[in-house]
Amino acid sequence: MMQPAAMSGQPYRRHIVGLPLQRSLFGQAARAATTIGLPGLTSEQEFPAQLDENGDLFLDRSQVAVLTEALRSWFTPETLEQMHATHATACHALVDATENAARVAASLESASARKLSENLANKMALVLAYGILSKFVPDLLLRALADAGDVEPPPFPEKSAGAELMQDTFGLYKACCALDYTPQRLHREWPRVSPKVFHLIREFCKRQTVFGPLAWDSPGYEDPDYVVRLLHSAFDDVDVEQVRRRLSFAKRPAVAASPAGMRTKVSALRRVLGFWLDFLERETWYVRRAFYVGMVPLLQQLAAGYLQKIPTLQPVDLLFLDIRELTTEINDPAMICKRRDRYMENTDYLSVRGVEPSRLITMMRNP
Amino acid sequence: MSAEKSAKIYSGLGAAPGRASGRAYVIRNAEDVMAVPAGSILVMRILHPHLAPLLPRVAGLVVEEGAILQHATTLARECGIPAAVGIRDARSLFHDGDLLDVDGYTGEVVARYLD
Repeated sequence: MMQPAAMSGQPYRRHIVGLPLQRSLFGQAARAATTIGLPGLTSEQEFPAQLDENGDLFLDRSQVAVLTEALRSWFTPETLEQMHATHATACHALVDATENAARVAASLESASARKLSENLANKMALVLAYGILSKFVPDLLLRALADAGDVEPPPFPEKSAGAELMQDTFGLYKACCALDYTPQRLHREWPRVSPKVFHLIREFCKRQTVFGPLAWDSPGYEDPDYVVRLLHSAFDDVDVEQVRRRLSFAKRPAVAASPAGMRTKVSALRRVLGFWLDFLERETWYVRRAFYVGMVPLLQQLAAGYLQKIPTLQPVDLLFLDIRELTTEINDPAMICKRRDRYMENTDYLSVRGVEPSRLITMMRNP
Repeated sequence: MSAEKSAKIYSGLGAAPGRASGRAYVIRNAEDVMAVPAGSILVMRILHPHLAPLLPRVAGLVVEEGAILQHATTLARECGIPAAVGIRDARSLFHDGDLLDVDGYTGEVVARYLD
């Protein structure tokens, strides 16, 4: 846990996460970060971020400075390659664990569902740790490139995750228009629309469930109502030609390749930075996807198991446990009510995140 | 026609090249993203990828978070939308309807206040 001094003062960001289950992953992120193998990050106390009970994020800038300094002198082609491999493995392992949970959740006994939840949560926590590090590591890599004499533009992704989403959304808009559903009409008549349009929206939601705000309870692309409203905001009264122009996407500047087989510090820095820049666009994608695609089916399974002991328990109640409680036992069901009341009283948070009263039930439906 | 009364310059970092002018639209909560006016200058804490579909309708971006390499940079560059980042407290400094000029090369934002 972060020292009290670091938690005092102004939060770095307010109300970023409200649900106890998601909040508890940030606590795990500090532990997970120690496994990454970075200098200056060998104990939980050295992790520079912490969430408080209100879901406010505190960043210990002195610890960021210590980490920055430790990393700067640590970069070599070998350590950069190790950093890249560990990072990529963490991301791929989370995707695999998510797919696995989605595939097997419905057939699991409670004990196995708990074990799989714990495993998935650990992988989410590790990717979250990288998410915190992404607040300063990419800039540090860029400075290291400049220090090494590199004058090329940063290695931005060829097409970012956001750009892919943008194209898919524009495709949905065009498909709906072709069926005589302008954004206005869709917005006005949803969900009483033609079966074809209904199907288009549902399929889009299934494809893009992974996109949305950091807070799981804040609506995102898993929710057809959200998608219909966003389509209206994005394409109502829009200049379609301008949209097309912007969707043609600027070409990434060409960068001179390193001599074949030559592993220089500059080429290693560029490779690692390229991965971080892509990760910046996908960090929420990884974890939100893990929740909606992998964790929700596990929670439903766990809730079904708990019903024998606690007949009044609803699947949404599990969102008010922390991950340790979720993967052991519910010893005090009344505590769930207290936490839920506290969450519902935090009207600032609910308003900023767009959480309606019925939202928790909606989010626990299988995408 | 209203005369320009004053202008104030705010300095940030240029994150995506180009210049744009338009009226500010400030994103303060999740609901605000559902009514983005066409041609506006979007003012926000940070641009997350899930808001990408809104970009083709806006003229420019003003972002509070300061790093050159962040979510906003990649998306804005890809779409050719001028962006200034690191304008601290932008959501307090600017109000819906304020006239803003965004310079995505220098990171400068000029707010023009009218009578």
